[in-house]
Amino acid sequence: MLTTPRLIAIALCAALNFSIGSVVYLTKLPIYLDSIGTILCALLLFPDRRGGFVCAWISGALSLVLSGLLINPFVPWFEMTDVAIALFSSLVIARGADTFRTHPLPTVPFAVRVVVYGVCTGIIAALVSAPVVVYLFGGVTGSGSAFLVALFLKTGQQLMSAAILSGLAADPIDKTLQVLFAALLYRATPTEFIKMLRTSYDLAATTTHT
Amino acid sequence: MRQRQLTPSGAVAFGLILIIAAMASAGVAGLALLAALCAAFAFLEVGAASAIALKRSLALVIPLALFMLIVWVGIVGRSPAEIAAGTSGSRAAALFHVALVCARLFLIASVLQLIMARFALTPPLGFIAALRVPLVCKRLLVFTLSLVETFQHAIDRAHTALVACGLLTSRGSLRNLLHAWVLVQTVWLTAITIVVGRLRDKWPIENTLAQLDRALARGAQRTLSRHDLIWLPLALAAAVFAIGAR
Repeated sequence: MLTTPRLIAIALCAALNFSIGSVVYLTKLPIYLDSIGTILCALLLFPDRRGGFVCAWISGALSLVLSGLLINPFVPWFEMTDVAIALFSSLVIARGADTFRTHPLPTVPFAVRVVVYGVCTGIIAALVSAPVVVYLFGGVTGSGSAFLVALFLKTGQQLMSAAILSGLAADPIDKTLQVLFAALLYRATPTEFIKMLRTSYDLAATTTHT
Repeated sequence: MRQRQLTPSGAVAFGLILIIAAMASAGVAGLALLAALCAAFAFLEVGAASAIALKRSLALVIPLALFMLIVWVGIVGRSPAEIAAGTSGSRAAALFHVALVCARLFLIASVLQLIMARFALTPPLGFIAALRVPLVCKRLLVFTLSLVETFQHAIDRAHTALVACGLLTSRGSLRNLLHAWVLVQTVWLTAITIVVGRLRDKWPIENTLAQLDRALARGAQRTLSRHDLIWLPLALAAAVFAIGAR
């Protein structure tokens, strides 16, 4: 399952998650853009859903560890959100792989899939993240969405409902953007690289162990 | 014969125990004990490099602390416990809650930075090779570290090319904001092109993966050292106390 090209893809997608996620985190916007690589990894490995899930999950986990080490000690605790996104990406979003790569671009099906997948991912991510925000950090996190939690608390909401509402307000938009960017990057990825990932081609087998 | 010095696997296990304990600890007493253990680790294992590690931890946590102060003390003005209880609350309680969260984060960041400082003189490949994890995990870690460099090269190349063709400017501008996505796509394609070149041509010719596997297998340390056997029980004991103490 974890051939050399797939290990490389995991590392590349983790680097993508980390680099874009870090830039967005520093702007303190109420979005994250830190799972583009996770979604992209699942798309790259379609139709191997099990492999897609494992690779997407590992790439997300790696980027969480990197971000936790270098930028934001909060993020590794959102590992379950990463698992949920990887699972949904490999089981559902990857079904759009053919549409995302069709030339010329089928604008309406492409847009519909991006929005539907993005909103669904956002709702799932919001529901999975809320307990972590509330029970582990008491609602206090360092991302821009803390402003939204504060806003809902000011309107008289309880902590859990404020965390869920803030997630439901920000995550669908954030995840729609992430699915869009992942789909565009997937569209631009050379076919040769995708073939390496989808076949059992493993460089280790072609080199001599002397 | 058992080696004396702390091994990478021992250090990673020590760090994981302290991090989990810091997050699960119920009160100030537990956090204080973990901080004391962390200080002892810094003094005995890391030495003078601890100052750099602590500075880096502060650099990570201070911006977060300021942000949380603005949101929680400035805007919300109540602690989560007071919100849950439905009482009017006070900014002092909110400040205490933010301080507790920041102390936890500082402890976590310090443990990680201290471990990094402890092995600062060990080459990354040697550190990864010494870990007691499956070979595929070691390979993944090496590829990730290697690709961070590749990504930096890809960013430099893509940025230079887009500045040269007039899509981006070398200084901050609206044009950069408008074409940021082109830069992301170009970086991705550049990185993929470099990687495909390595996978298809460079690595098979140089027999890179076989050599890497040999290096990773050679460096594996199978037993815990004496220092591991001192720090790990201490960390476990501190974790049990920190999680149990209120």
